Amino acid sequence: MTPPMTALAVNTPPPSTKIELGEAEPFCNSGAPQEWRKAQVLEGVSIQESRVCNPDNPADIAAFTKGTNNISMQTLMDTSNLAADAVIMSDDVDKDGDPDHIIIKLEILELNGHSPDFPGVVPSFDIAPGIQPGFWVFAPKSRDMSTRSFASVEANPLIRMPSPPIRVEQGDTVWLVVENTHYFPHSIHLHGVDHPFMDHSGEGNDGVGQTSQMDIMPGESKTYVIKPRQPGTMYYHCHVQPHTHIPMGLAGMFIVEENRPNNWVQTFNVGAGQVRHPSVGVMEKYSQEYDIHYQSIDKELHALPQSANDPRLIAKAMNQDYDITDASDDYFILNGRAFPYTLRESLITVNQNEKVKLRVLNGHTETMALHAHGHKATETHYDGVEQNPQAQITRDVYMLAPAQRLDLALNTTDDGLHSFGAGIWMFHDHVEKAFTTNGMGEGGSISLIAYKNYLDENGTPKTHGMDLKPYFTKAFWERKIPVWQDYVDDWNSLGEPAGMRAEEPKATSPRPAVTAQASTPAVADGSPWAGLFPGLLLGIAGYLTYAYRLTLLGYINQLISTFKAKQ
Amino acid sequence: MFKRISFLLLGSALASPVIFAAQPERPIIEHTMLMDHGDGHLMDMDGGMIMGQNKDKLPAGCDRVSEDVQITVHAGHKYARKFPGTMFAFDQQEWKVKPCARLTVNFINEDNIRHQWMMHGLPKFMYDKGMFHLEVTGPAKISGTLILPKEDRTYLVHCDMAQHMEKGMKGQLVVGNGSTPFPSIPGLTDQAIPDSYPTPPPVKVDTSKPVTAAPVTPAASQTTTGLSGTYLFGILLGAFGTPFLVQAYRKQYAGMPAGEVIGQLTTTARKTYLYALAWLQSLYHQIRRGK
Repeated sequence: MTPPMTALAVNTPPPSTKIELGEAEPFCNSGAPQEWRKAQVLEGVSIQESRVCNPDNPADIAAFTKGTNNISMQTLMDTSNLAADAVIMSDDVDKDGDPDHIIIKLEILELNGHSPDFPGVVPSFDIAPGIQPGFWVFAPKSRDMSTRSFASVEANPLIRMPSPPIRVEQGDTVWLVVENTHYFPHSIHLHGVDHPFMDHSGEGNDGVGQTSQMDIMPGESKTYVIKPRQPGTMYYHCHVQPHTHIPMGLAGMFIVEENRPNNWVQTFNVGAGQVRHPSVGVMEKYSQEYDIHYQSIDKELHALPQSANDPRLIAKAMNQDYDITDASDDYFILNGRAFPYTLRESLITVNQNEKVKLRVLNGHTETMALHAHGHKATETHYDGVEQNPQAQITRDVYMLAPAQRLDLALNTTDDGLHSFGAGIWMFHDHVEKAFTTNGMGEGGSISLIAYKNYLDENGTPKTHGMDLKPYFTKAFWERKIPVWQDYVDDWNSLGEPAGMRAEEPKATSPRPAVTAQASTPAVADGSPWAGLFPGLLLGIAGYLTYAYRLTLLGYINQLISTFKAKQ
Repeated sequence: MFKRISFLLLGSALASPVIFAAQPERPIIEHTMLMDHGDGHLMDMDGGMIMGQNKDKLPAGCDRVSEDVQITVHAGHKYARKFPGTMFAFDQQEWKVKPCARLTVNFINEDNIRHQWMMHGLPKFMYDKGMFHLEVTGPAKISGTLILPKEDRTYLVHCDMAQHMEKGMKGQLVVGNGSTPFPSIPGLTDQAIPDSYPTPPPVKVDTSKPVTAAPVTPAASQTTTGLSGTYLFGILLGAFGTPFLVQAYRKQYAGMPAGEVIGQLTTTARKTYLYALAWLQSLYHQIRRGK
């Protein structure tokens, strides 16, 4: 016996509603001239092709390779505002055709910083649409404005995350000049790079305030002098309050290339990624070279320099109030960007049958597990030291503890082991949270190994799956767009139920509640149970008054009559 | 004794150069050999730079140079000393010239890093990007000249390196009667978005004492608590619980002299009261610890 349908009161859940994406950026908006992507020779420097949306400026590559003192004025003017004294190269001491005295000048600058004049941040550097954590970076010494123009708040391309990989040749005499243009003390510690504890003039050279040399104060400069005897992928970072200064961005890769004749190495690789002028030693074994720097960001820490203007307040917030032992990371970036921005500049672009050198640095606060789809690469060097070739391991997940470096040989031969063939293959840290941005997936440090036949002329990968448009909106990262909206069917089965979104959040509603609570102190002495006992006494008194009301009344009457009689 | 003195001397010798003179004073180098790139843009290979140099082109409406003015501007960390909450500054924050004045700025950077004296808002047909700009890595001096337009106007002057303007290196050049002043100039104008400085929380009365004191003075707690939930609960418990209590103890006290009954009841009440007090206290501490 089924009851008639009309007899039931049916509560139909709300239908799906469509959330508007809002403005979506184009995949590629770098505005880079097409010539910048081409293989070319500039100032005698051979520059490899770069097939990504946002390639390095060839003038910058030429200046970093020849030195700002050995290029034409025109090339210097064509750089991204590089200072005339940024990289000075001279003295071919061993007469092998390349300079052996290198002066490298670094400045320390803040990205997405506070302004007392307007509510935004300046100079801006977005890691994903609308996401602007404060950063501190080492940057090649530049000239002119920190922003692209007076009308723009966007940072000059030289000033960006991560701090640039620095390359020198084995045996070079390197003067690393740090000009502290920031408002806090800083230093450089050359992690893993051969350097004497003291330099010849008796100054500390290890960058550690407690043991080596007083920190570099705002407005001061310090020169670190090194002559590294061993090659390898190393690391440099600030050693002042390092638990916050390293995550803030004052950390980069330091690569010592093997000594070879006529070996002009590309001193800076701004933004990391592809090295467009690989060293002679690398080109003997490989066709390409990439610097891959992973970093993680606790958004609360990176908001502190934006919270005030007074350096004392920022110092207090970072040094005394912030507690890293209570912190957790929210953003995961590869070469300064999170997905989908990683696709604009941090692709590994390959052809089949290539051998590509990858230098990987784990700049996270925790261990990472790098994984490449479709490939098994070989681990050749740990922390810059070569592993016995017979004992080298080929695998598809690579473990890196914080600060560790790993050199990988990526072989794109389609043999079912080293490569599964051409395609667009993801590579990412396999720690799950690392492929989110503030817990929203897919974000984080995901990027791609893209075979060149899968790239168009602007470096856009020819993807075969979903539309990437939502990832290029601010609304997606603000958690406004249902991830599976419009996926399943034309009635949007996994969209958002209508009516769940408040029209206008009432900003005033929570406040009166708070004040109401505050205005009625629960109990004067602080204990919520203190009212019980006096209440109990009063209750007993009330009962007794009621029970003996006749006696009591009689007594009162008696009193009254006595009083009257006396009068 | 001798040992101690030498120790002190050694200590001070080590400490003083490190703490009070982190870097020895280096002489100020004057940058005069600059290469002219045209359009008033001059540069040298040591980071010296002038943009918008103009010694002789008269802006529209100026029929002659009204006055020749020289100013000397010092820049560096030490000039931030008199402005709490800043890190870099110029030695002056405001300069005044007449319309159509020819202004030569002698810019002396006393830090060991780059600083700028950058002016915005000039007519773009005369000055590239509307800028006049001096830049040099200190300790060094660089000088540049420009001719100002005829209009009364206040121009922003700053160091454009990230956070240098924000942290104090900001001023303004007033031409004639000037126009609206700029915010956040140290010692001159307020910040548009001021910082808030936390004040210490109000001194709190020790909260642990009233716990023991309050129940002893029920009158006081009565006036402050009003009709709180537990208070009402107490009244109800008293009013409706007593008959049962009386019923239960009536037999026990039957036939006893009134005085003895009262005495015994008082002792019980006192014991109960003290027991309740201890229980309340422990409960209170538990709650506080929980927080």
